[in-house]
Amino acid sequence: MKTIQATQSITLNINGQTHSLDVEPRFLLSDVLRHKLGLTGTHVGCEHGVCGACTVLVDGKPERSCLVFAIQAEGSSVETIEGLSADGMTRLQRAFQEHHALQCGFCTPAFLLTATALLKQTKDPTEQDIREAISGNICRCTGYQFIVDAILAAAKGEEA
Amino acid sequence: MSDALHHLQKNALKPKYTGARVTRKEDARLLTGASRYLDDIEIPGMYEIAFVRSQRSAARICAIHLDAAQATPGVKRILTAKECPCFFGSAEDVANGVVQPALARDVVRYVGEPIVAIIAETRYAAEDAVERVQIDYEPLQPVLAMRESLLDQPRRVHEKTPNRMFHSEYQTSGFEDAFQAAPHHLVEVFQTHRQTGVPLETRGLAATIDPGSGRLTIYATHQSPHGLRGDMAVALGIEENELRVIVPEVGGAFGIKAHAYPEYLVVAYAALKYKLPVKWISDRTECLLTDVHARDDIHEVEVAFEGNGRILAIRDHLRADAGAYSAFPFCGAIGETVLASRVLTGPYTIPHLATTIDCTYSNKTPLGAYRGVWGPIASFVQEGIVDRVARALHLDPVEVRRVNMIPDELFPYTNAAGQAYDRGSYRASLEKALEMLNYDELRAQQKTLRDHGKYIGIGISAFVEPTAMAQSEAGSVPYESATIRIEPNGSVTAAFGLGPSGQGHETTMAQLIADELGVDLKDIVVLHGDTDSAPFGGGTGGSRSGPIGGGAALKAGRAMKEKLQTLASHLLEAAKEDVQLEDGKAFVAGVPTRNFSIRELAQVAYTDVLRLPEDFPVGLEVVARYQPKRPVTFSNGTHIAVVEVDAQTGMIEVLDYVVVNDCGRLINPLIVEGQIQGGVAQGLGSAYLEELRYDDQGQVTTTTLADYLLPVATEVPRMRIAHLETPSSGEGGFKGMGEGSLIASPAAFANAVSDALEPFAFMVSALPVTPDQILAAIDRSRDSMA
Amino acid sequence: MKPAPFSYIRVATVEEAANALSEYTDAKLLAGGQSLIPLMNYRLSKPTVLIDLCGIEAFASVSLKDDVFTIRAGITHQSLHEHPLVRAYAPVLAECAGEVGHWAIRNRGTLGGSLAHADPASELPAAMVALDARFVLTSVRGERTVTARDFYLGLFTTDLAEDEILTRIHFFASSANRIHFAEIARRPGDFALSGAFVRVEESATEITWFGVSDMPYHLTLDALPVEEKARQALFTSLASTLEPLDQTVYRRKLAAVVAERAYLKGRRVQA
Ligand SMILES: Cc1cc2nc3c(=O)[nH]c(=O)nc-3n(C[C@H](O)[C@H](O)[C@H](O)COP(=O)(O)OP(=O)(O)OC[C@H]3O[C@@H](n4cnc5c(N)ncnc54)[C@H](O)[C@@H]3O)c2cc1C
Ligand code: FES
Ligand code: FES
Repeated sequence: MKTIQATQSITLNINGQTHSLDVEPRFLLSDVLRHKLGLTGTHVGCEHGVCGACTVLVDGKPERSCLVFAIQAEGSSVETIEGLSADGMTRLQRAFQEHHALQCGFCTPAFLLTATALLKQTKDPTEQDIREAISGNICRCTGYQFIVDAILAAAKGEEA
Repeated sequence: MSDALHHLQKNALKPKYTGARVTRKEDARLLTGASRYLDDIEIPGMYEIAFVRSQRSAARICAIHLDAAQATPGVKRILTAKECPCFFGSAEDVANGVVQPALARDVVRYVGEPIVAIIAETRYAAEDAVERVQIDYEPLQPVLAMRESLLDQPRRVHEKTPNRMFHSEYQTSGFEDAFQAAPHHLVEVFQTHRQTGVPLETRGLAATIDPGSGRLTIYATHQSPHGLRGDMAVALGIEENELRVIVPEVGGAFGIKAHAYPEYLVVAYAALKYKLPVKWISDRTECLLTDVHARDDIHEVEVAFEGNGRILAIRDHLRADAGAYSAFPFCGAIGETVLASRVLTGPYTIPHLATTIDCTYSNKTPLGAYRGVWGPIASFVQEGIVDRVARALHLDPVEVRRVNMIPDELFPYTNAAGQAYDRGSYRASLEKALEMLNYDELRAQQKTLRDHGKYIGIGISAFVEPTAMAQSEAGSVPYESATIRIEPNGSVTAAFGLGPSGQGHETTMAQLIADELGVDLKDIVVLHGDTDSAPFGGGTGGSRSGPIGGGAALKAGRAMKEKLQTLASHLLEAAKEDVQLEDGKAFVAGVPTRNFSIRELAQVAYTDVLRLPEDFPVGLEVVARYQPKRPVTFSNGTHIAVVEVDAQTGMIEVLDYVVVNDCGRLINPLIVEGQIQGGVAQGLGSAYLEELRYDDQGQVTTTTLADYLLPVATEVPRMRIAHLETPSSGEGGFKGMGEGSLIASPAAFANAVSDALEPFAFMVSALPVTPDQILAAIDRSRDSMA
Repeated sequence: MKPAPFSYIRVATVEEAANALSEYTDAKLLAGGQSLIPLMNYRLSKPTVLIDLCGIEAFASVSLKDDVFTIRAGITHQSLHEHPLVRAYAPVLAECAGEVGHWAIRNRGTLGGSLAHADPASELPAAMVALDARFVLTSVRGERTVTARDFYLGLFTTDLAEDEILTRIHFFASSANRIHFAEIARRPGDFALSGAFVRVEESATEITWFGVSDMPYHLTLDALPVEEKARQALFTSLASTLEPLDQTVYRRKLAAVVAERAYLKGRRVQA
């Protein structure tokens, strides 16, 4: 059992890199990613789990970084948009550009991570599969149609 | 003319980028998480602010206890109205003897009004202190209902000022006679409930003193950098040149970020007073409470019409609830009503109109701009009227639209409110949309399905969209500016006073300039969002950036082209008219080998200046301003929604959605379609999901996104879009289009639901319409039939 | 919206958790955090100590032996939704777990958390009531078993004592037979406006409603009328006795509709 302290040292595995840092237990993973590690591609839109803008991949699965304490992420591997983009843009990212699947871009990293996880587990998703998978991510700008088109195109391996 | 020359000129007429589905220059940084929004900006030593907000809609503040908060670890400073005596005075408020304090002083007038600002090392610590502030209130009776407020009941929101903060009347001559003489009349009360823009990035402000210049620098997520600078400077009591406004990447705006808010004054004032870098980022609940609200209107309508569906006259008493103050600098209540009253007749030749407008104060959040402002309300009323006339006469709603639609030969047309419409594709857009939908067949299907207990509804919304207005919520100036500089290496830097928030201006403006200069899109950088580098301009709002900003881009592009031609003709020893710009080169028409690259020209202009022609200024820089001749340009189009209403649950499902849009000459269809799709999604929210509800004490009960429901991917239908292009008379032939989709779509959805529920004699008269209301209406009808 | 300070303890076993829970006053268990952390972000919940159950080994296992399902409390909604044993032998549970929130919420939120949180509009507590499940509650005092039907006491209120942890859930696979489920929510992923589990046997019917009362509402009836009008009239009259927390008329109407839909689903599947 760990003992109780005001701040604790933790080690996080983010985008394949190990980071050691001190946190208050109450620090949300979203805040630590953004403000302690400078990974500001993870965005915060509600801090109560609804908007989806803070979605990151924890052990490959989409989760809300605003509903996880950073201290809980010890021992997991976290992937953010910066990790997804480490080797340049993926096919999915290129499809987003090609299909104009983003406007203000605030929701975009979270959509990309969610869709990346979807395409990993479902090779040939239907439009309905896609809409359900991204239904926990709010985009206020696009009306979703071009996002769906981009994910469909990426799934089919269509290259711009 | 030689064949080659002929070929060249033909090509020159066909722009390479303008009108093409060009992908966006902005995207790479956004897709990789590299862009910087407001909360991504870190200034060393920056403090964070959290606000103590009023939990009462109306109360006197008796005491504020700060001791426990002062003692909270991490707290640096605490401000109340005493420490921060700033205020905003919008023109409308000031006319009524009212100003809005940055921090409430003696009285609170709406839930969420800021009272105390805590500056602390982290937001966590600031919120720890917020919890420890105790405020003693003496409750006052809240003013909540528009009808009562108009009579100063139960009291005045501002003691010395009547609640009616705006009133106006208008009538076409001969109205009464025409109205009385009509064979048919109907009455209806239309109501829209409070909604708000909900950009996914919340609003906020950061401020710091720039150590170099000593100026105050503010980082704001805003639609109008220059507008904000002017307003803030006045309110802070400093000169405009002592303030620099930087607008980083903006995560959606939709009108709510065209405003300046009390918190902004507090943040900037604190930075000035304590010489600290500080920032405040709103959380979502603060947004739902205090971002300007919108759409709180009532229209009491009387309509006179003939047996063939021709509408002769509309009388409308328009009311809007302004909230506790006029939002700054744009009063939503006045904007929504006054401007709605000017387009109530929509795309129809309705000759007579009489309007009375009353706007009132209340103990609610100030009403301000949300995309479309008056448009969605006016369209809802206007298209609701048309469908009611059709139902009253047992006519097809399409027929009533055809009878009333402004025919092509009447353009330019002045409507009953005196608005001058430019040429459009009013009729054509309706017919095209019907064709895309296969309307007649669908009507037949609808009938069959109804017999099987399936309720399909078809909702038509033909709309006008006033755009590029000389004055709107963002853009107190009737023009936009563009500067173009060709850098010494031949690349192009352009700067605008616009304030984009996802519309892709870095791409569209570059498209226009690239075509003028014959350069590659990738060689152009478009700057905006910094009052140090951007030329003065109104900003983005009211669908003005395409037509007015685009006009400025064209003018500046032409001016630069002219300079390049002058320079090249001198160097090439050719006539200026013979110099063409293409592929990054200036060449003599027909002899492409006789050329100078732009890079070489730039070299001459900046370095090899002895080769410049006489009188040619060193360097390559231009500034141009574009002020359209028309005070407003009208886009138009038709939306049709097909919905199914589940008569057991009241839920609606959208089965099909068709849009025919005419915004004049298209700069980039991909971007236009994105705007349309996003607007229709918001329209679905407006019609069916989104509502800021108040309880009888004036508490907002929808303070999370689990209560304020936004459309998600499983709700929003796939849309089919067609473009018509009727150029405007303005520069480039562009018309605005940022709001039309949200102007048209709530009416389309509302009419579709009404149409589906025709067997139950129900028509949607309030938005949003909720499933429980739908079910209640069905039950009422069944009871009355039983 | 940031949580108030707390101390954090990660435990590796149920025993450690039970010890910690009895040791600290004002401590709270943290499972998936998908209900607790929003409340903490709003400072509506301010525990001084959080005991994180996520590190407990094998806290997410599912087994089926001699018709008895044993599911440990730490299983996430998504795992429950996808689990082959659950899909095969308690399909209604897999189905309704897939209706909880959105994918990202389901990837973290747990069965135990949902059952203990006792939101009246939640699918899983009602599913357990419908399945007549047994909950094993563990504390330093030992273990006790309580039926789901006795566990729920009211709005967000359960029989769980301050020092107890919900550790295992048991139910008969055979009882999952013939239970069918329907719900209506404003948008997919939202909490239900109304939902029902309906179990139809030759001679008896059970209905468990959720979203229409302060807790899952279970009742047993004789066989349902086969005739549609009569059946719907029965559902309507039963629903009229429900006491929803808001939108009374509407939710009662929906209750009758979801009951009928769950029933029809059952008839289709069983046909
Ligand atoms: C956007 C959103 C949408 C959602 N939609 C739905 C929905 O449609 N339907 C639905 O049912 N839920 C929904 N939820 C809630 C979600 O299902 C939660 O996962 C669940 O309610 C709680 O589980 P948890 O593991 O996250 O528990 P936590 O949040 O960690 O804990 C919840 C409570 O249970 C206690 N607790 C946790 N585990 C145990 C245990 N083993 N023993 C005793 N006490 C325990 C905690 O102390 C706490 O009081 C939604 C949540 C969000 C954020
Ligand atoms: S910020 Fe996490 S879901 Fe909105
Ligand atoms: S692109 Fe702006 S919220 Fe999605």
